[in-house]
Amino acid sequence: MSDVSELPNKEANVLKGHEGGVLAARFNGDGNYCLSCGKDRTIRLWNPHRGIHIKTYKSHGREVRDVHVTQDNSKLVSCGGDRQVFYWDVATGRVIRKFRGHGSEVNAVKFNEYASVVVSAGYDQSLRAWDCRSHSTEPIQIIDTFSDSVMSVCLTKTEIIAGSVDGTVRTFDIRIGREISDNLGHPVNCISMSNDGNCILASCLDSTLRLLDRTTGELLQEYKGHICKSYKLDCCLTNTDAHVAGGSEDGYIYFWDLVDASVLSRFRAHSSVVTSVSYHPTDNCMVSASVDGTIKVWKT
Amino acid sequence: MDIDEDDFVFYGTPIEREEELNSRKKKAVAEASGHLRTLPSWKQEVRDEEGRRRFHGAFTGGFSAGYYNTAGSKEGWTPQSFTSSRKNRAEFKQQSMLNFLDEDEKEELEGRSLGTASQFDTFGFTAAEIARKQAEKEQQQRPSAVPGPAPDEIVLPATESIGVKLLLKMGWRHGHSIKDSHANSLYKARREARKAFLAFSSDDAKSQPEDSEPGEEDHKSILDHQPIDDGFPSSQSTPVYILNPKEDTHGLGYDPYKHAPEFREKKRTRVSGKRGSGNKQALSIKDSLFGLKSGRAAPGFGIGALEDYDAEDEDVYATAYDIEDTYIQEDEEPLRSNTENKPKLVWKEQGVLPGFKVASNSDYQLERFDPPVIPKDFLPHHKFPGPLEFDKKPATLSPPPPEVPPPEDDNSKVLIEGVATLVARCGKLFEDLSREKNQSNPLFSFLTGGNGHDYYSRKLWEEQQKRNGQKKIALDGKLSSSVDKMTVESRGKILGEMPLERSSRDLSSSIASVNVNLPFNLSDTFTKPESSSEFPEVAKPFQDDPGKQERFEQFLKEKYQGGIRSTASAGASNMSEAARARERLDFEAAAEAIEKGKLNKENKLSQQLMAFPASGGMQFTLGGLQQGKDTPDEDLATKKIYPRREEFQWRPSSVLCKRFDLIDPSMGKPPPPPRMRSKMDSLIVTSDLKAMKMEEAFSADRNQPLALQFSPQEVSKDVVDRETEPEVQVENVERPVDLYKAIFSDDSDDEMEASNFNAKEDPEKKIEVAHSTLNRLMAGDFLESLGRELGLEVPPNPPYSTNIARSSHQKESAIANAGNDNIPSVEEKSFSIPIAHGVSQEERVANDEKTAKKGESRKDEQPRPSEDKSDKVYSGKIAQEDKKKAKLPRSVHRKRSSTSSEDERSRKRSRRHRDSTSDSYSDSSNDHRDRYRSKSKGRKKRSSREKKSSKKYSKQHKHGSRDSQ
Repeated sequence: MSDVSELPNKEANVLKGHEGGVLAARFNGDGNYCLSCGKDRTIRLWNPHRGIHIKTYKSHGREVRDVHVTQDNSKLVSCGGDRQVFYWDVATGRVIRKFRGHGSEVNAVKFNEYASVVVSAGYDQSLRAWDCRSHSTEPIQIIDTFSDSVMSVCLTKTEIIAGSVDGTVRTFDIRIGREISDNLGHPVNCISMSNDGNCILASCLDSTLRLLDRTTGELLQEYKGHICKSYKLDCCLTNTDAHVAGGSEDGYIYFWDLVDASVLSRFRAHSSVVTSVSYHPTDNCMVSASVDGTIKVWKT
Repeated sequence: MDIDEDDFVFYGTPIEREEELNSRKKKAVAEASGHLRTLPSWKQEVRDEEGRRRFHGAFTGGFSAGYYNTAGSKEGWTPQSFTSSRKNRAEFKQQSMLNFLDEDEKEELEGRSLGTASQFDTFGFTAAEIARKQAEKEQQQRPSAVPGPAPDEIVLPATESIGVKLLLKMGWRHGHSIKDSHANSLYKARREARKAFLAFSSDDAKSQPEDSEPGEEDHKSILDHQPIDDGFPSSQSTPVYILNPKEDTHGLGYDPYKHAPEFREKKRTRVSGKRGSGNKQALSIKDSLFGLKSGRAAPGFGIGALEDYDAEDEDVYATAYDIEDTYIQEDEEPLRSNTENKPKLVWKEQGVLPGFKVASNSDYQLERFDPPVIPKDFLPHHKFPGPLEFDKKPATLSPPPPEVPPPEDDNSKVLIEGVATLVARCGKLFEDLSREKNQSNPLFSFLTGGNGHDYYSRKLWEEQQKRNGQKKIALDGKLSSSVDKMTVESRGKILGEMPLERSSRDLSSSIASVNVNLPFNLSDTFTKPESSSEFPEVAKPFQDDPGKQERFEQFLKEKYQGGIRSTASAGASNMSEAARARERLDFEAAAEAIEKGKLNKENKLSQQLMAFPASGGMQFTLGGLQQGKDTPDEDLATKKIYPRREEFQWRPSSVLCKRFDLIDPSMGKPPPPPRMRSKMDSLIVTSDLKAMKMEEAFSADRNQPLALQFSPQEVSKDVVDRETEPEVQVENVERPVDLYKAIFSDDSDDEMEASNFNAKEDPEKKIEVAHSTLNRLMAGDFLESLGRELGLEVPPNPPYSTNIARSSHQKESAIANAGNDNIPSVEEKSFSIPIAHGVSQEERVANDEKTAKKGESRKDEQPRPSEDKSDKVYSGKIAQEDKKKAKLPRSVHRKRSSTSSEDERSRKRSRRHRDSTSDSYSDSSNDHRDRYRSKSKGRKKRSSREKKSSKKYSKQHKHGSRDSQ
């Protein structure tokens, strides 16, 4: 397939600096930078294209599980094992606010489009929405209809979408006040939205990625081949939504064809579990993070 | 009177009023005599020497409160040495006592300052000092030629200690050692050696101070110099730390002999003796306190003989000897008993403190006890007696105790099992403690080897085995069937599940008899009209296993027809246990069926079990289904089921809408009812006062799980009592399966979807059931309180789905610990499971299926009251809606319940009911989405094939949802 050559499977850079496993690596909004966080309780800002470490954000007391940056790159939000959500100023590296309230570890966190709300997903089976505009540290909304740990959260302009170990992907539509629960039958590890916003890719703990149509809840495709049984592994769609990318617990990265679910490419990327993959918003470039402590930048 | 006064001529002075006179007089007298002290204290006045009243009491304000007579300025004390300017640096001023003294105090001091009498003033220092002071005074008095004070450095000679001065006068220079010059060559050679040694002696001085040659050299050199050092400072050019490397583990400068310097010397002699150098004699204890000090100071510099030795003056960092000594002391501790078995003798040999004589006869006898002899095989590691014990697997080493039939008394059996569980959890310590506590209690005689001890030891062994097994498997991070099996089994045990088929009962415990009549009343309310006609046809869930089926039938027979259980039914070791309790049997059966790994069988089994509500084993077949989930066979089935979409009402907060820049959909609507914190809360709230009282009567401080178990049946009773108009509740709700709900379940209460087994029993059975519950509660209470008293963590005894919770949590925690190097640590979390947390999806899956079927099977039987008590409590409106729904055609209900039956979140049920507005909402939203879809069609890269299928599905879905609404 001609497609395969477009896939980023050549290692362009290795970003080293984390001591211990890297739990998440994320491109920023325009794809010029990337953020990573890990077991060493730090968040690191990189230029993945030049392979430069720019800044380290230290304040977390436990491992940092997720990080997200606003569209204007001015603020960070991160969460982790210390049950708090940290709201950072990117430039100064200071914590602006800490949102406390989760009863347990916080698994994932996201800004909304206007960077006015942070939504965090916690092991305490709840989603919490935090207000960045006011000085209140109380959550403005707690959603606790989940019956198990919430692993991942995605935000659209009008919806909050979250995947939980209880096997559901729940969409909370703010416009109409509706909760739509799609039960996948398997613990959902990570969800990521397609770039056109029509589909949700859910990584389930039965070593399957499932693609859901958001409007109907229909299962469009299943992607198999990788190993995902016990770790929180990220998955993502490529910038063109033509392929599905995901890490595996054996250190491989897999690329599937979106439509026919065939494995287009698989290569050994890391020596250990690939915890996170993040695709460049516009280019054929991907970063992957691993428990082995490295972040690798992949290009075509 | 005036007229009269004019007329009279007065002589003398008029007599004044008495009080005036008195006060004035007194004052005058006091002033005159100055004997103010004779006055009572509150009349005394404080005046300065000029007679001014300048009393300033600290709190009263005084007469002239302020800075007069106190601080030098209006602001008070001015800090002396702080000026914050870059250019004008604050000069460091030495503060002396004089800064804080008044003038008169200074005057007083003036005469007392010490000086050397001129006859002893050998070098004229004192005289010079006096002269200098004189000059200073004079200079102050007359104006100086040089403006400003002359710098001190110029005027004042740097004073040195007498010793240094003496030495200087004798020709000594700074930086030179005071020694005979002929000793220098030897010294230098040694110094070189020392330096060479230092490189590694600092590292391993501890490990091999004695055997290495240079080390000895080092110490020898110290010791060699010692006699000389006693008198004179030596070798000042060698830093102290080289001579005396820090070899101990004390902090820098810590001196253990600070207040008992004698021991330092003694220790040192012993050390040197031990090291085998021949200098023991030179350093005899007779060096005395004084000699000792100079010895200590020897490596130092510039300390003369007359310099006073204050503890505070000592340079703490120079006391290298002490450090060395303390190290030795530390290390030597066990040895001391050998070398110094009779310290008194040693003391006498070596003499006494200077200034003291040994008493010829002392009646003081130091009583010494030899330390206990340490066994040879003693390992100096502390073993924790508590929870770690089962790691060591003590039970596995010893042969298992023989299987023993449980004691007759049901109460004590529960107690024994409970205690065994606790002991297995908490370790031996718990057993000891409880034994101690309950010595007099006949119920606990099994702890001390009395009645039931055999059974207890057997139980304990089993529990420990189980725990070991669990631990192992937990470490592996894998799920195996044995875990489930064990946990469910152990759960039954932890819960103290009671065999319901007991016919004879003796309530030996007095506590039990108190509340006996209560369960009677309770059980009376559980009358169940239609009953036993059902079970014969469906009582064959174990058709593939005739033995089991037989046992099961036997069990059923016993259950329904009474009679005494034959011991023959208790066959194998594990089966006997299982056969005793209904649910255990069922579990065994289900587990066995699952082990065969055949899905269809499972389904059949579960179907049968579900179709047969009396079997009551559903919670255990769930476990089986959950296991089967992982088998690939299931995939097909799951694919059909999943993904499954449901929609609920959800109310975003207004702030959230604002922040998302959206219009609040719930604007203008009444605020949602206050949410219940947990199922527990809702249960308590909704059950009325009676239930509360009952609960309180049972236990004031019962923890959540127990209350949770208990309240539903109360609630259900109330429902029965109050309920007049039956309602059909469409949404089946998956509830945590609970044994006690199962026992007390009533058809009117389909919240407990477990069997209605007992409802069909005769009243006598029910009484027994109630008794058993009571007993169990009492035993549970006792164990809890015991655990609490002991400060141990009481095993949470989660009433349901422990194993399932654990399994999901294993996964969960593995995810959480994704960074851990390949070994997800499970234990951390598996012990801190929130009770309501663990409903894993597998279980739900199973429940869903089950509830779906059940809904079908039951719907036609009879109308039943809504289980949704929360509705009743705070929203009658919704209840009405329910009724409305009840009027809908039944087929619709059936369809609906089969398609989307599970609504496991009972506490949110009230918000879920679809009202008319939500219908319109969803319609509009569907339209909306369709528009979206069409818009995005062009962009979509998905294939048309997919598209088609999705459309098809959406149609289906819409159809289904319309149906359901």
